[in-house]
Amino acid sequence: MKQKSIRNKFKIVTTIFLLFSNSIFLTAQTSPTKNKFTISGYVKDGKTGEELIGATVVIKELTATGVSTNAYGFFSITLPEGNYTVSSQFLGYEAKVTQVALTQNTKLDFILSEKQHNLEEIVVTEERKDENITKNQMGVEKLDIQQIKNIPVLFGEKDVLKTLQLLPGVKSAGEGNSGFYVRGGSADQNLILLDEATVYNASHLMGFFSVFNSDAIKDVTLYKGSQPADFGGRLASVLDIKMNDGNSKSFVVNGGVGLISSRLNIEGPIVKDKGSFIISARRTYADLFLKLSSDSLARQARLFFYDVNAKVNYRINDKNRIFLSGYFGKDVLGLGTTLGINWGNATGTFRWNHLFSEKLFSNTSLIFTNYDYKINVNFGGTQIDIISRIQDYSIKQDFQYFATTRNKLKFGFNSTYHKIIPGAITVTSNSPIGKLNLPNKYALENALYASDEIKLTEKLNFEYGLRLNSFSLIGPGNISNYNTNGEAIDTINYTSGQFVKTYYSLQPRISTSFIINEKSSVKAAYNRNEQNLHLLSNSTSGNPTDLWIPSSNNVKPELCDQISLGYFRNFKENTFEFSSEIYYKNMQNQIDYKNFAQLNFNENVESQLLFGKGRAYGIEFFLKKKYGKLNGWIGYTLSRTEKKIDGINNGSWYVAKQDRTHDIAIVAIYELTKKWTISATWVYYTGNAVTFPSGKYMVSGQVQYYYTERNGYRMPTYHRMDIGATYQAKKTEKFESSWNFSVYNVYGRENAYTITFQQDPNDPTKTQAVQTSLFRWIPSVTYNFKF
Amino acid sequence: MNYKKIIGIYIAISIGILSLSSCQKVIDINLNSAAPVIIIEGNISNQPGPYTVQLSKTVNFSEANTFPQVTGASVTIADNAGNSDILTETSPGIYKTNTLQGVVGRTYSITVTAEGKSYQASANMPSPVSIDTLVEHISTGFGGGPGEINISVIAIYTDPAVIENYYRFIETINGIEVKTFSVSSDQLRDGEIMDERMRGNRDLKLEIGDTANVQLQSIDKGVYNYFRTFNQSSGGGMNSSSPANPTSNISNGALGYFSAYSVTSKTIVIQ
Repeated sequence: MKQKSIRNKFKIVTTIFLLFSNSIFLTAQTSPTKNKFTISGYVKDGKTGEELIGATVVIKELTATGVSTNAYGFFSITLPEGNYTVSSQFLGYEAKVTQVALTQNTKLDFILSEKQHNLEEIVVTEERKDENITKNQMGVEKLDIQQIKNIPVLFGEKDVLKTLQLLPGVKSAGEGNSGFYVRGGSADQNLILLDEATVYNASHLMGFFSVFNSDAIKDVTLYKGSQPADFGGRLASVLDIKMNDGNSKSFVVNGGVGLISSRLNIEGPIVKDKGSFIISARRTYADLFLKLSSDSLARQARLFFYDVNAKVNYRINDKNRIFLSGYFGKDVLGLGTTLGINWGNATGTFRWNHLFSEKLFSNTSLIFTNYDYKINVNFGGTQIDIISRIQDYSIKQDFQYFATTRNKLKFGFNSTYHKIIPGAITVTSNSPIGKLNLPNKYALENALYASDEIKLTEKLNFEYGLRLNSFSLIGPGNISNYNTNGEAIDTINYTSGQFVKTYYSLQPRISTSFIINEKSSVKAAYNRNEQNLHLLSNSTSGNPTDLWIPSSNNVKPELCDQISLGYFRNFKENTFEFSSEIYYKNMQNQIDYKNFAQLNFNENVESQLLFGKGRAYGIEFFLKKKYGKLNGWIGYTLSRTEKKIDGINNGSWYVAKQDRTHDIAIVAIYELTKKWTISATWVYYTGNAVTFPSGKYMVSGQVQYYYTERNGYRMPTYHRMDIGATYQAKKTEKFESSWNFSVYNVYGRENAYTITFQQDPNDPTKTQAVQTSLFRWIPSVTYNFKF
Repeated sequence: MNYKKIIGIYIAISIGILSLSSCQKVIDINLNSAAPVIIIEGNISNQPGPYTVQLSKTVNFSEANTFPQVTGASVTIADNAGNSDILTETSPGIYKTNTLQGVVGRTYSITVTAEGKSYQASANMPSPVSIDTLVEHISTGFGGGPGEINISVIAIYTDPAVIENYYRFIETINGIEVKTFSVSSDQLRDGEIMDERMRGNRDLKLEIGDTANVQLQSIDKGVYNYFRTFNQSSGGGMNSSSPANPTSNISNGALGYFSAYSVTSKTIVIQ
């Protein structure tokens, strides 16, 4: 069995290397008698100077010859000597066309200007190529940041994570929650990156807000199917969020004032067209309303968050550019002097773009990330202080080699040092003083990757790659092995830097697309992902105190193999995009918890875990209208997610908490007049799988509930409609302002947040089920300005 | 101090804040019916007998809280010193010992045969630990309205060093036992002077002039785990995404527990 899997692995590896050598061979073979030269440059927004990510550059004379700009807005095309018509386009921008007489390597920047909104305008369809059909990637969702602002959300705070939840295959973790599940993966199986730095907790205020301030965000891409080989570390998805670089043309101030939060964003050039900066900040003030409460407990409460995004970049010369970006956010929750809970993320990224040649683009990143929480409790003279944190120090080197117009290579490495402080507790009391330091965990993770994107024919594309990963748990520390009862059987002491356990993995990633005709294509993908950091959370909704643990001698790396197939079809001159994807995932070394697992402040937390396998499968349908006065989409997912774990439900398959049979989301945005845009969203999904009692009994006069199986019940079906309206009050060159109104849960559906069981207060001989619902008819208004 | 409580408080505050915009209602929920399961509740202590074992069964959630007794069962308790006692059913579902006397340090095992199935459990009777003193504690804030004063009793006792100790507390106010399962262990504070606040009960509040008695039972780990998980199991809701039956020390799928404990107690009059 094991031999077979090794042989299979070997087969995969050899196939990939054959393909690689093949592509290099192709590259070499296609060199004709004519000289070849490279056109390279950047595509930028004309007004702000921001580089555009994923803009296309097309050669009119050569069909099927087109490239798209990389994460830094850079492109490179190598062509035989000659005269070409080169055009560049990007969604929401006017296309630009230039003639190039190619007799030498040429530098060419495209400066695109945003399309002016004009109701009478009939969208030019002539040369629009639809990426939906032609792009090789599947299972990729890109959010239009401009569109987000029109979608109604809870408390009126536009939010990328909540907008993502409206897409097929992506599901909300709960009412108003910014946590999300992708294709049956749990919330911790999403790799969330902000300018390449891992964000360990993407939620503010119990998940009602995400940590991403949409003012500061340039690009949001979610890989739910085939992840490119340069990403790794999580099973289910990669959410790659890139911050704005800042306006390099002029100073701009914009912001918004809402009912419970306000935002301010300042950006501008440091040296015009060479360097710029951006600072974006937010703060909520819901706690100010608590001060008005008649309840004394509520008046003492502190409840707010703030966050700051900042970035500077400077173009040293044509070949070198540097970026420094950071995020800092903090949540503060407290009650007088009795209790304080603070938590937050901090990230920092330094990047250096370097062009070795017109064809070889390099980026080097130094990345730091930190997530921590602090708790202070003071009851009757006893003071307890708790601190816990996770930190990453990374270096990442990426190369992109634009070999030919048909062939693009990516390769690189990254290396990360993880440091986890699970919890240090200090107890100060009148009499005894206690102290508990859970031992820190250290790990080193290295990855080497290469991938190749190749157009075999005009209709057939391939992208294949390989990621080689090593993960090592390192000392110092006492590492224990556990018996089946969860008792430590032996404990070994490791010294600083000593390797406790190392896991290696080979992760192949292959995707292919076949273009049937201009309007339709089919795609297929296979990929393997590995996860070496695991979040332990036993609560219904995520808590800031949830614990990350590394793979170890007891906890094996989680593995996932996913295959997916997709059909893509466009209608009416690409006005409508339709796609359907099916997927199947096989997961190994999945984690669940023993009954009554003690996850927090437990030195032997690994003894509380149970391991097994998982599987997830489903079909997604997506119909999107991209253009016109009315736009929006309908998404539907039919899926199943199950686990099979020794020690739960007698070792038989059971549905995972995040399993959702049906999930529907409809988004509609309608431009009523030049000044008014109205919008509505409707979501419907099957309730989460939960454990409810099937009987009851009495022990010493106390009624206890009798449970027969885990996740054997469902919460009631969830559905909700939100509506919104945006009024463009003023728009001049110098000043713009708008009002945004929204109502969350407009028909007041009482969606179950929790269901609890209790004694009937009117009849102590009976028990009853009580449903708690959260938000109904939550209105909000936000004023946005820009000057 | 139980650190889990802190998380509990966090959740309580979260719920408190959420409740500003939330609503609750009683719903009809269609729960499966389950085949009845036996509940065994047996105790033996270092106090004079007889000791009682109670047998009952589960009912469906929608039914009234009347739990059928299990009659006609064969119940035997034996110790590791060769003593054995076949219990007599004195009233339906209530079985009492005849001759057995609990002795500290011995291990007791119980065998119940009822309706064609047999169940076993054993428990060790640890040495007693005495309460050094009971002190009054007055607090305002949590739970109480503005200016409301809560009186509670704190039991101070000294944990014997080196050995693992597990405790159960029973508070009796004016002769009425408070119906909560309060347990603690020396896991983080071995050999220290311990304090445990009796949490009382909503229906049984301490007032000046009341008499409060605190019983300190020394129990073994299996019994401790039963009561610890019993408390986590009740209620459900946000605390745990997957509630389960308390971890019983009885075999063969029976619910309930079998405890062998040694006990000391102290009484205080609230002033």
